[in-house]
Amino acid sequence: MRRRIFLATPLLLPTQLLAAAAAAAASPSSLVYPPVVPGVRLVFPRDHGAHPNFRTEWWYVTGALQTSPSGSADIGFQLTFFRSRPGTAEALHSPLAASQMLFAHAALTLPGDRLQHAERAARANLGASFSSLDCDVAIGAWRIYRQDTRSGELLHLQVHSPQFSYDFTLTPSQPLLLQGDGGYSRKGHGPQLASYYVSWPQLQVAGTLVRDGRRQVVSGRAWFDHEWSTALLGDNAVGWDWLGINLFDGGAVMAFRMRDAAGETLYAHATWRDAAGHLRQFASAAVSFAPLRRWVSPRNGASYPVELEIRFGEYRLRTRPLLDDQELSTRRPTPVVYWEGLVTVEGSFSGRGYLEMTGYAGRLRVADHGAGVGAA
Amino acid sequence: MKTLAWWLIRAQFRTRRAATLLSMLAIALGVALGYAIHLINAAALADFARAMQTVQGDPDAVIAARDSAGSVALASINDIARDPAVMVIAPVIETRVRVDQARLLVRLIGIDVFSAAAVMPRLLPRHSERALTGSIFDGGVYASPALRDKLGLQDGAPVTLRRGDQQWSTRIAGDLPAAGADDLLLVADIAWVQEHFGPDDAVSEGRVRLSPDTDPARWRATLTPQLPAGLLLRAADDDNARVSNLSRAYRVNLNVLALVALLTGAFLVFATQLTAVAQRSTQFALLGVLGLSPRMRLLQVLLEGLAIGVPGALLGLGLGYALALAFTQLLGGDLGGGYFATSAPLLVPQPLPALAFLALGCGASLAGACYPAYLNRMQPLAQALKTGFAQRPGAARAPHTRLWLPSLLALAALALTQLPPLFELPLAGYAAIALVLVIGISCAPVVTQYVFGYLARPGLPAPQQIALQNVAQAPLMAQVAASGLIVSFALTASMVIMVSSFRVAVDHWLDAVLPAPLYLRSKATPLPQELLQALLRPDAPFARIERTAHASLTIDPQRPNVALMVREIERGNPGARLPFTGAVMTPPSDDLVVVWISEPLHEIYGIQPGQTLRLPLLGGAVEVFVGGVWRDYSRQFGALVISRDDYLRLGGDFQPTDLALWPLPADAAGEAAGAWLAPYTSRYALELADAAEIRQLSLSIFDKSFAVTYALEAAAMLIGLFGLAVTLAASVWLRAGELATLGALGFSRRMLSRAVMLEGALIAAVGLLIGLACGIAIAAVLTQVVNPQAFHWRMPLDVPWSAVVFGALATLAAAVVASHYAARQATRLPVAQVLASAQ
Amino acid sequence: MLTVAGLAKRHALASRPLFSDLALTIAAGEIVALVGESGIGKSTLLNCIAGLETPDSGSIRIGPQALDIVRLDEAARAVLRAHRIGFVFQAFHVLPTLSVAQNIAVPLLLCGVPLAEHAPRTQALLERVGLAGFADRWPASLSGGELQRVAIARALVHRPALILADEPTGNLDPRTADEVLALLLDRVREPRASALIVTHSQQVAQCCDRIVTLTADGLR
Repeated sequence: MRRRIFLATPLLLPTQLLAAAAAAAASPSSLVYPPVVPGVRLVFPRDHGAHPNFRTEWWYVTGALQTSPSGSADIGFQLTFFRSRPGTAEALHSPLAASQMLFAHAALTLPGDRLQHAERAARANLGASFSSLDCDVAIGAWRIYRQDTRSGELLHLQVHSPQFSYDFTLTPSQPLLLQGDGGYSRKGHGPQLASYYVSWPQLQVAGTLVRDGRRQVVSGRAWFDHEWSTALLGDNAVGWDWLGINLFDGGAVMAFRMRDAAGETLYAHATWRDAAGHLRQFASAAVSFAPLRRWVSPRNGASYPVELEIRFGEYRLRTRPLLDDQELSTRRPTPVVYWEGLVTVEGSFSGRGYLEMTGYAGRLRVADHGAGVGAA
Repeated sequence: MKTLAWWLIRAQFRTRRAATLLSMLAIALGVALGYAIHLINAAALADFARAMQTVQGDPDAVIAARDSAGSVALASINDIARDPAVMVIAPVIETRVRVDQARLLVRLIGIDVFSAAAVMPRLLPRHSERALTGSIFDGGVYASPALRDKLGLQDGAPVTLRRGDQQWSTRIAGDLPAAGADDLLLVADIAWVQEHFGPDDAVSEGRVRLSPDTDPARWRATLTPQLPAGLLLRAADDDNARVSNLSRAYRVNLNVLALVALLTGAFLVFATQLTAVAQRSTQFALLGVLGLSPRMRLLQVLLEGLAIGVPGALLGLGLGYALALAFTQLLGGDLGGGYFATSAPLLVPQPLPALAFLALGCGASLAGACYPAYLNRMQPLAQALKTGFAQRPGAARAPHTRLWLPSLLALAALALTQLPPLFELPLAGYAAIALVLVIGISCAPVVTQYVFGYLARPGLPAPQQIALQNVAQAPLMAQVAASGLIVSFALTASMVIMVSSFRVAVDHWLDAVLPAPLYLRSKATPLPQELLQALLRPDAPFARIERTAHASLTIDPQRPNVALMVREIERGNPGARLPFTGAVMTPPSDDLVVVWISEPLHEIYGIQPGQTLRLPLLGGAVEVFVGGVWRDYSRQFGALVISRDDYLRLGGDFQPTDLALWPLPADAAGEAAGAWLAPYTSRYALELADAAEIRQLSLSIFDKSFAVTYALEAAAMLIGLFGLAVTLAASVWLRAGELATLGALGFSRRMLSRAVMLEGALIAAVGLLIGLACGIAIAAVLTQVVNPQAFHWRMPLDVPWSAVVFGALATLAAAVVASHYAARQATRLPVAQVLASAQ
Repeated sequence: MLTVAGLAKRHALASRPLFSDLALTIAAGEIVALVGESGIGKSTLLNCIAGLETPDSGSIRIGPQALDIVRLDEAARAVLRAHRIGFVFQAFHVLPTLSVAQNIAVPLLLCGVPLAEHAPRTQALLERVGLAGFADRWPASLSGGELQRVAIARALVHRPALILADEPTGNLDPRTADEVLALLLDRVREPRASALIVTHSQQVAQCCDRIVTLTADGLR
């Protein structure tokens, strides 16, 4: 969900070029992106691959890691690849044309330490690549790809940065979870505000983590999202809260809400799949988010409700962050400050997963979005 | 003791104002020239490096094609990008284009802003509000401030970029805020540049930023063997080495010339201090009697040398800075050498080099003061107090015993000329030149004694007799007076001979390399197809057309590129077009590609005719046969010629950039040809020149590049003449008693004056004779050792006798004038007073 | 004050001895005239005493420490000369490039006397040799008598124990010579310094405390 920051901002340019980038997004384009419509049957592994005609797309993996088999969950990780089609250079024949761009973020939450973060950006065919046939997206040595093996399918994650590196293999323990109506996931009250959204909860993680030159064998549990769309965010939205939790009992919960400037919910949705695979969806009216405790960022004064109470239907959950300070500041594609980190939940269910809260540190640069939506 | 030293120095300066000032000036001149050359060159190099830093950034490695016609495949770039040690690889496509109809060729650099931000931040453009395109990704070019000024480019203005037949109509979308004040650059998105100018599926080069925990050298070493044959991986250091190598030999040569000025200055200090010691021998003896220690008598003279050296060197630093400023404004950063084509570079004096030159100036004057100081230390006090200066404390040696030293030195000099270059510089050659000078100077007393002893036979008129006797009897003073002249004339003569030999050689060479009456070229871009097609039509007014394509190769990443010329040349008869230095060899098989290499290429890389080598051509390593070595005075870093047929056989794309044209016999003046070509030359900004123009231009460039040399020679000659005058005047004072006695005996003042002038002329004649001999020897070293080793070209020695003899006669005349100054001193001697004070 | 014993010196070019086994003693405050024929070796003896020439054998002891100047090296001789000996020459030898005061101050510089003392001492001596007001004059503007007075002042300024004078009046006219000689003797006697004066003049010799004659057979 969070990746919609990138919907707006096609270009990752150094700040001096941002004005131009924004202008580009705002100018009427002859380019028509395909609409997101209900009733499309998703086919895998093809739909794990990229959908380059759509305006934006992301592959998003979050999870909790243990460094020893007996240890508690003590490290949170996140890796996201975004694909953006900003509508530029569409007329060029050159393979280098900047019509498809890729961005990647990786973060690591270490208890008792600050969150570590690395990012990369490149245009397709020039240091970056994606496949339209299967999940395989890469920027340089960073990569997420799917592999079929004799014992079943696997996802691979590779990240190399000066601060940390990791190489994980993710083994699915459950089938895919198609959000919304068979993967058609509404994001607002208008019919055009929607995405194709596929989740894959309860992935087994095994691999190695290198930080400060020290290599560790780790294991854990992860959550994979793949979402593509052309327009997601309504005009009034300033930010959102989202969460995806692997429950200890084998179930999975996803919930989000769109907020307006007053902090009121514009649209919300929740999904719960129990360990047996029974899926329940909760419509906007049945979902609520209430702040319980706030943490104020010492850097910018933003006040994040790091402990939230989330109700959907008869259930309620309460979040508790692994670390209060999991605020993130990314430079690319545009400077954005948000909170994204590992939390544990208790209440009707208990589990561990990622909470993302945007639009608290001043207004997000979502103004650009409106135009994007309008164009769609 | 310090007070006494200071009193003596002050007294010395007061009483010998002219000589002291001249010595100071000579030191200042040497320091000034050396320092100016250093400043200019440092500034030019820094400027060049900074400009390159702007364009290239600061990558850990650069992957590029060895062949200027080649490129780096996208697949190679993406392969390297996937290496975990690689943080970013920033690809660029670079080409040269003309903007609209402007003749100027401008670098157009296609960048990918994602990666450029990390490696080449200074190339990042600033988008203008007035640009009509959305962003850099939507096309549009960004011009550096200097280029905007030069061509009057406005944001949003439409421009057409042309390269040969290819063109791109776009708009100015903004500027390059971080570009340097001199940089003439256009930047655009890499995809747009590729779309319009190619290369397909490839880029010009990729600049790599490695992860901080990776050792760049080791990474490069690991990757290099895995690269495709046509590619090379170079470090940023390589580029610095390349820039430095570009002008290194020229720079060293200029610095050696500055050292020559300094050396002449040292001789002048020597002359001044020796005469000063001789003049004051009674005073020093008195001080010695009064209790001045021998050590202090030595130190005092050295101190006086330093007192000349320090202000001289300080003056030299200031003068050098002013000179550098003036030269950079007038000639640019390369002193007319043609290595850096930038505007006047900014001079930034650093403390360390300034100190070094200060030390050099002081060292030179100290060195000059050494022997006089030693002589002063060795004077026998009681005798000196009574009879004055002893020229040679200790036993006199017969002249023949002093011949072994020059002969031994001559042998050493000969041995030095046989040595190979050190650090790629002809250091042994320079040492040999210094030795030749030492030989000349050490020969002076022997020659003087023989020549004048022989001449001073009885029967001559008294003044002549006295002059000759005097010189023969006082060889040391004659040596001192002549040494400055020997050094300066030897160096000047050698330069004149070397430059003349070079010019004659270049003249012959131009005959050989300019066979056609007319030449047409398009600078760096290919000639337009439209013109090439038209030339093939029967109505084209040419009897013969030969096309050439220019490219370049990187053989060693630390050296400047080697020029590659693809020519329409007969494989069987390359001698018709290339001035070979030796035999032309035919390849063992017709299938083997033949190249003919230039003399510098042969010298630098040690490539021999008749051998086969693997050449990085057309993206691969190609086996070629070296068919011969041809003389080339224009491409100092090497060039090779390949026939068009061979090049096409290798799969090359022949894109001519130059044409050699033979107009029809009826059109001997080439007027019809010029008229026929006119529409093309104006439309495509092509350069048309006839052979005579090119020859004239080449020779004028040649002359310009030696302008500094001439200035230095003139300075050296002037110093030498001053030295003669000063020494003669001093020796007149030294012999005041003797001359006064002669005056009392009935010699008229006119006769005395004549004797002194004759003495000056005779000393100058000996000095010039020895100087000429040394000059020819030095010229031989310069043409046969220094030039081949520093610039990698050879030339036959060609002595311009008339010029040299004229120079010698002019100097002799000047010497007579200079000794007139000394003669006037002789006529002003207060005879009575001198006689009264003499014992 | 000066003790010469067993002094021998051969002629520089010829092998014949110039003198041999010379002995001479000068007491403190004594002024001795040295006379003899030209070329007999008076100047050589003086040079040996001053350490400018080295005798073939013998010893020359000078001053209260009775240092043997023959055994000293060149640098030590220079130090001894600077501190213990004053010179007056026939040819004056006043440095033309230094002012009168500077000329007189040279021995003070060589002895390392603090600069502050120079002016009063040279000034006092200038007055005593009758050249008050000449301090800033240049030697070129002085007459022969005046130059020799400067030389006498220079010979005394550092209060040497021994004055060596070589024909001090030889270049002066008779009247000036008398004046200069009287001045020299007065100024030497004043601080009770010793002096050895080489002279051809009987008149000069008569004014001294003792006369020794150098002959081919030795000193008489």
